[in-house]
Amino acid sequence: MRRVAAVARNTFRESVRERVLYNLLFFAVIMTLSGLLLGELSIRQDAKIIKDLGLAAIDLFGTLIALFVGVGLVSKEIERRSLHPLLAKPLSRDEFLLGKFAGLGFTLLVNVGLMTGGLYATLLALRRGADPALLKAVFAIYLALLVTVALTLLLSILTSAAVASVSTLCLVIAGRYSDVILNLGDVVPGMPAWALRAVMILIPNFRNFDLKDRVVYGDPVSFGDLGWITAYAVAYTGTVITLAVIALRRRELT
Amino acid sequence: MKALAVLAVLLAAAVPWTQGRIDARLGTHRAQEEALYLWSGDQVRRLAPGFEDLMADVYWLRTVQYFGGQRVYAVNKRFDLLLPLVNITVTLDPRMQIAYRYGATFLAEAFPIGAGQPEAAVKLLERGVRSLPRDWRLRQDLGLFHYYFLNDPQRASQILLEAAEIPGAPPFLATLAAQVLMRGGDRETSRQVWRRIFEQGEGPMRNNAAVHLAQLDALDALDNLNGAILAYERRTGARPAVLDEIVRAGYRGPLVDPAGVPFAYDRSEGRATLARSSPLWRPNLK
Repeated sequence: MRRVAAVARNTFRESVRERVLYNLLFFAVIMTLSGLLLGELSIRQDAKIIKDLGLAAIDLFGTLIALFVGVGLVSKEIERRSLHPLLAKPLSRDEFLLGKFAGLGFTLLVNVGLMTGGLYATLLALRRGADPALLKAVFAIYLALLVTVALTLLLSILTSAAVASVSTLCLVIAGRYSDVILNLGDVVPGMPAWALRAVMILIPNFRNFDLKDRVVYGDPVSFGDLGWITAYAVAYTGTVITLAVIALRRRELT
Repeated sequence: MKALAVLAVLLAAAVPWTQGRIDARLGTHRAQEEALYLWSGDQVRRLAPGFEDLMADVYWLRTVQYFGGQRVYAVNKRFDLLLPLVNITVTLDPRMQIAYRYGATFLAEAFPIGAGQPEAAVKLLERGVRSLPRDWRLRQDLGLFHYYFLNDPQRASQILLEAAEIPGAPPFLATLAAQVLMRGGDRETSRQVWRRIFEQGEGPMRNNAAVHLAQLDALDALDNLNGAILAYERRTGARPAVLDEIVRAGYRGPLVDPAGVPFAYDRSEGRATLARSSPLWRPNLK
């Protein structure tokens, strides 16, 4: 466990060194500008738009970081052969992978946490109230980001970094179109129901993690709902990380 | 290294300078043709899964900018894109109440103040009522628009009664429904309708209601003035050459509308009306 934590710590440091958190500057600019301009431009819809914008930015920036940083985490180490000396130390491949996952997970947690703080600061500065329900949507977004990190890790072990980026991006987009997949039966009448069901299970359903609309409009999101969403994320991420561990164990390092 | 830094600073300084030259040659505000590349909210929804609300906000901002731009700045005012913009907004976020309420106001007002499409405005509000069936304000607006813009007091009264039954609706809605039905299109009922909108509204909706209230005051003042002109003609056997003549004859009412613009007077018809230069003037105002 200590070795996993050490890899995670290093991964976080590396992300900071690679200026991953610079996206926070963009976020700060977006929030400040929206706070200053939206009141006039939107006919008093500024609070809603700031919440929409803030949550969408947390989602989008987080996904981009998970995708593009996640792809490089393992593949870069393999391609540069910097993984060999690491594995020569008392560190298993499993620990290496879990450490990488935890490290990027922590980077994203810091990133999401700071952006959430920025969103609340903007709302408070405009005296629009700090609605604690927004945290439920942020939590769900964070879970989605962990799923994305797990997918990028798996695909970057199985393929090259470029292919992994594209295929993870496709999976993330497909997961956001889960309703379309569900309705494919109407468009393609010959398609067997079991095949659709299989596709639905295989592709991560990112719609599950989209609570933005609900919290902005004040719809109730119970802790039971959050519990099931968390359970789905744990099951999906766990499956993918396990597959990634298997894939890394089987991968020949040359 | 130093030389490169100096070059970078020089080139950066050249950017606003060249922009200034371009503006000087082509004008600061070059005409930009308004275009809507996506006409369907469903298309936009498909393009941004998970970000529908944000896209709705973007389209709402665009709607407000488009309407304001056409209304205030455009020389040849056109509101062709208003309806598709509002429709895309509410398709992306069917719960955006303000888009239905303000969108309908923008659409319903007579051209060139609005798009002059009251039927489209009523359809938009009907769509809003279907999306937000427990929202009494939307139903109230639908009733009032039926009354004021479609001149259908019966249907308006029926909708206002439905609105009154929604939990949280103010008690005045039931009274208003009865007044609308009993007194049809009289000016006092119109005044009450617009006063309600004025009291509840914000921004452009409130301003619009204020204009309607001022128009009603102007119409009252014109009734008095035209009555005085008629009385003057009966008494003297001739129409006044200018309005000052009836003031000299004892008329004490205003000769300017609530916006401060003098009433227009047509001696050949013997009638005073709102001046076309007045911000309160509208075609077919009665």
